[in-house]
Amino acid sequence: MNCPYCGTSNLDNASVCANCGRSLSAQASSYTPPPPPPSDFTQPSSSASSGPAYGGPAIPNYLWQSIVVALCCCLPLGIVSIIFAAQVNQKLAAGDVAGAMEASKKAKLFALIGFIGGLVLMIIWFAVSGAAFLQNR
Amino acid sequence: MKYKRLLGFAVVAAAGAWVLYNFAPTAYGFYPPCMFRKMTGLECPGCGTTRALHHLLHGRVDEAFRLNPMLFVLIVVALFALPSFLRGRHPEFLMKPWFAWSAFVVLVSYWIVRNTPIYPF
Repeated sequence: MNCPYCGTSNLDNASVCANCGRSLSAQASSYTPPPPPPSDFTQPSSSASSGPAYGGPAIPNYLWQSIVVALCCCLPLGIVSIIFAAQVNQKLAAGDVAGAMEASKKAKLFALIGFIGGLVLMIIWFAVSGAAFLQNR
Repeated sequence: MKYKRLLGFAVVAAAGAWVLYNFAPTAYGFYPPCMFRKMTGLECPGCGTTRALHHLLHGRVDEAFRLNPMLFVLIVVALFALPSFLRGRHPEFLMKPWFAWSAFVVLVSYWIVRNTPIYPF
């Protein structure tokens, strides 16, 4: 079953989500509003107005995508993206949901620019070297 | 669903390994090059991975290590992440700040060191 809080797919007999640790009881899987957060999860009051509050979908950090971009084409963009990816979970751990979402967006943006930029550069490179190869034949 | 993922991964991995084993990256130009090196002349932390994988498939671990020692770190991380990815789940350690920061430190320091004369290879 999928966790109703973060969307992670869990084993059918799991009682808590493997990713976020929240309960996967039958009551939680129906589409009722999530129960009030346990006391150890503190949540800034500001997040009620900005971004989904506790129980919203998990905030992706795009970390592995950033590492792939850094290693496979666009090192500077990938490294910037990795920094934002690290900030996503750091801010989330500090209870700053809005800040984490902001960092997530930036991580995605830089990884995407790197990916598309790298793709375009490679297509150009292959076109140029392919043309040269055909000419020298 | 689980088996589809596993099968897809196995097919792609086997096809990639077959190409890499039979066509040396130094002899054939169809492999994607490192754009960072093409433009700056400097090596990025990922440079040499394709050639190193080719040597690794031929059992030449020393050659692979010489071309890109960080590949072995990547392989260990990938092995840890693989079971979760095959189950369609996000590996938990990818969501830990310590992991992201260590990835950042390792990448940047390796990148700097390999472009200086200190680098042994």
